[in-house]
Amino acid sequence: MKHSFFGGVYPAGHKENTRRKPIARLEQPPGQVVIPLLMSHTGDAVSLVRQGERVCVGQPLSRGVEEGASVHASVSGVVEAVEERAHPWGRRLLSVVIRNDGKNTPWPQWPAPLDLEKVTAEQLIERTGIVGMGGGAYPTALKLRQAAGKIDTLIVNAAECEPYVTADHRLLLERSGHVLQGAQVIARCLGASRAVVVTEGDKLNAVEAVERRMRRRNAKVELCTAGTRYPLGAEKQIVQTVTGREVFGSKLPLDVGCLVLNVATVFAVQEALARGRALTHRVVTVAGGAVARPRNLWVPVGTPLRCLLESAGGLREQAELILLGGPMMGTPVSDLEAPVIKSTNALICLNSWELRRPRPESICIRCGKCVSACPMHLAPSFIHRALQREEWDKLPALHPEDCMECGCCSYICPARIPLLEQVRQARQSVERGGAQ
Amino acid sequence: MGPVRSLRLPPQVGQPGTTAAMMADVMIALLPALGMAVFLFGIRVLALTAISIAACVLSETLYCRLSRQPLAIGDLSACVTGMLLAMSLPASAPYWSPVLGGAFAILVVKQFYGGMGRNFMNPALGGRMLLATFPMLMTTWPQPLRRLPLWGADAVSAATPMSYLHEGQLPPQSLFQLLLGQQGGCIGEVSSLMLLMGGLYLMLRRVISPRIPLAYLGTAAVLALLFPHGDAGAWMWVSAQLLSGGVLMGAFFLATDPVTSPVTPWGQVLFGIGCGGLTMLLRYHSSYPEGVGWAILTMNCCVWLLDRVGMPRRFGTGRFATFQSWLAQARAYLAPVRFVRPELHVFRNGKMPGEEHLDQLRAAGKNLAYLGAVILVTGAVISGVSYLTGPEAIRAEEERQQERLLQVMPSAAFRSETPYRASGALSITAGYSSDSVLMGYCVEVQAQGFGGVITLEVGVDLNGQVTGVAVVNHNETANVGVHAMTETALSRYIGRSGTLRTSGDNAVDAVSGATATSRAITAGVNRALAIVANLDTEGVVDYVDGDV
Repeated sequence: MKHSFFGGVYPAGHKENTRRKPIARLEQPPGQVVIPLLMSHTGDAVSLVRQGERVCVGQPLSRGVEEGASVHASVSGVVEAVEERAHPWGRRLLSVVIRNDGKNTPWPQWPAPLDLEKVTAEQLIERTGIVGMGGGAYPTALKLRQAAGKIDTLIVNAAECEPYVTADHRLLLERSGHVLQGAQVIARCLGASRAVVVTEGDKLNAVEAVERRMRRRNAKVELCTAGTRYPLGAEKQIVQTVTGREVFGSKLPLDVGCLVLNVATVFAVQEALARGRALTHRVVTVAGGAVARPRNLWVPVGTPLRCLLESAGGLREQAELILLGGPMMGTPVSDLEAPVIKSTNALICLNSWELRRPRPESICIRCGKCVSACPMHLAPSFIHRALQREEWDKLPALHPEDCMECGCCSYICPARIPLLEQVRQARQSVERGGAQ
Repeated sequence: MGPVRSLRLPPQVGQPGTTAAMMADVMIALLPALGMAVFLFGIRVLALTAISIAACVLSETLYCRLSRQPLAIGDLSACVTGMLLAMSLPASAPYWSPVLGGAFAILVVKQFYGGMGRNFMNPALGGRMLLATFPMLMTTWPQPLRRLPLWGADAVSAATPMSYLHEGQLPPQSLFQLLLGQQGGCIGEVSSLMLLMGGLYLMLRRVISPRIPLAYLGTAAVLALLFPHGDAGAWMWVSAQLLSGGVLMGAFFLATDPVTSPVTPWGQVLFGIGCGGLTMLLRYHSSYPEGVGWAILTMNCCVWLLDRVGMPRRFGTGRFATFQSWLAQARAYLAPVRFVRPELHVFRNGKMPGEEHLDQLRAAGKNLAYLGAVILVTGAVISGVSYLTGPEAIRAEEERQQERLLQVMPSAAFRSETPYRASGALSITAGYSSDSVLMGYCVEVQAQGFGGVITLEVGVDLNGQVTGVAVVNHNETANVGVHAMTETALSRYIGRSGTLRTSGDNAVDAVSGATATSRAITAGVNRALAIVANLDTEGVVDYVDGDV
């Protein structure tokens, strides 16, 4: 039986500018990379290197603390400083600044490649200094350790439902063999009986490539192509699409026996196992109406965003807003010196035409589009009404804590009410327990 | 909420539509049906629509100005209301009707409830239903293809398909004619094809979701399929039901009004089902052939409930668990409802009442006294009115009848209607004695007198003899003709039978000075005698009304 999730919206894809552009290297390697020690939301790391020290590509720069993820040098060169630099999440955080010598000398102590047929779960977990690369930035090692032996379905998320972003699409198309192999190994190690690659219908060339590869390899991986609808790439929605199981509010996909990994994460795991390489590079889409030559770039982690824009030919017109990630859930960038981190999948420069026109909000006409668009079965219009009338006691029954901030309600609202913001406000009010 | 702040809030892109764009889409979707109506009913349709839109916009502007609110006509909702209102009027409606309807719709139905987004009833339908209370306005439908002029439109009423369907027959139009709109009806309702196109446009543009129209039309179709009439098969009946009348207009344009339809998806489905069921119920069983308007207005009032019933299930909880929690909540709501036995304390706590308690009792008694007084006065007025009007008039009429019976047929105690009819007789009643033996017949006849028609009642017994004559009504000259109507003059006819003559054998002499009147009375008595003589009491009695 085919499952699907409720609601969702159909934003214009705008992927036609970059979907046919192969992944390219930067035109000019960055003279300096800034690698923040904070790569995941769960914890910090402690620096292993000092100023003036020479580092090679793939050399660990930090010792991961219990919950964190370690970081690795993405270029070879000299450590210029270990200091606070701008971080894409908005603050200034401790980072390792490396001057690039352009030689890309590999780290001599790379661990030996493993035979993929014989990898054990322990090896899998300890080899991967990887964070979720779809934007969640949860340490993959942690996720794998929790999931070992508890799951029956591994879901490789290549849905990439955000407009403009084509990084995962190109990766799946160009490295489909690696992705399939990685998915198979992870599924075998974790004891999952099923491994499913999920894509959307607007990536048919990647679907075709994966299918051809699967026929040749006789891989035990399923391919699920769902209709293009916006929050398919969200964890709970992709679990529902593949298995029909619903992940309750505060629970994880693990609780229903599923593990969701981004396709770039799976690729990085495969690289780490088969070639012994750490996660030092990733694909970033540079797109948007203001970019002169939109493209998909293979970028060392730590490259300043400015270098990416230069590689893409710079801005051809005034960019109203520069975003990390897609326009639905992405965060605005205030400083172009901030580096690419492991979870950066796109740099989107929107011009004034593409941005939502700043219109004042008008009165709710009860059209109900937000209710039928919410993939988490919420009723944003009711939450809006309760907030407007200050009926705080009605909020808990509307469960605003289930919101995953996909933004469908704000997107669809014809009255331009910032519903996402209001649901967030309601959630805070519920968490504080009632009034205000 | 400045624009800059909302710009920074995710998502950074939005669907381009706004409320005004939605309303503009609705108007665009209505245009084909309006164009077809102009083709069918003439240019007057455009004038009506323009007046209706202008009335709605003006009312909105006026209200906003008077109540010092920001002007809200920019969202085009008043234009949509005006257009919908005009399209649910007949093309021959007078020009004041959309003005009245539009003002009612905007001011009373919409603005008094808080304006856009807060009214619970569809404004256009509210205005239409106000106009439907005027007699003849919403019951005369001009014929299609008889284009009306701008001024002096004479309403030639055409039978609408709805009146045929209401009788349980298929309309004479073919399905193709119904699709194109060659039927009598409201401006916007006639052309089903154009309405379908408009509805499809709205659904493709995602202005409306297909839940309400599909549930509405589906329910109506299923009910029509279950209870078909006519002789061309159930499917013909279903298509005739769906293509005629306002059901398509209602399903696509009136029931889907965002403000007055439920927000939740399942609520919308239930709303559509309710509309369809009520529409068919009213079409089958009400005295008015069409029921779409009332059905939608009724369901508009249920929106609050449907929204709660249709609330989406919380993500991650199964259907059974949701049902259980729903039951638990219902039980929790019902738990505090308890029957409390009313207690009447005259002596509180077993003590004698104090001054305070007596005061309370007195106050309560005062309230009760007011209530009692109101009830008494109302009852007295009602009974007085009914005593003075209803029974009294009937009793007087009965007494007059009885008096006349006494004069016409003294032996009879009461009379009853008979099924007999005869030419020349206004009525033929049978007189019975007190022990229910048929004594004879009283015949009411007319004769041409001196001053006009004289109405007589003549009693004839079973032997064909006159038992009495009474004058019911006459126009004779007061001092002259009346001499022929005195008791003695009339009593000369008693006991006569056969044919009376003015002179000679079996003659009743004319009263001198009132010859014409006497002759007229004699002629009347003759006619009554002839009627009774020829009365066919043996044959089959025909109860069909009408002139025989």
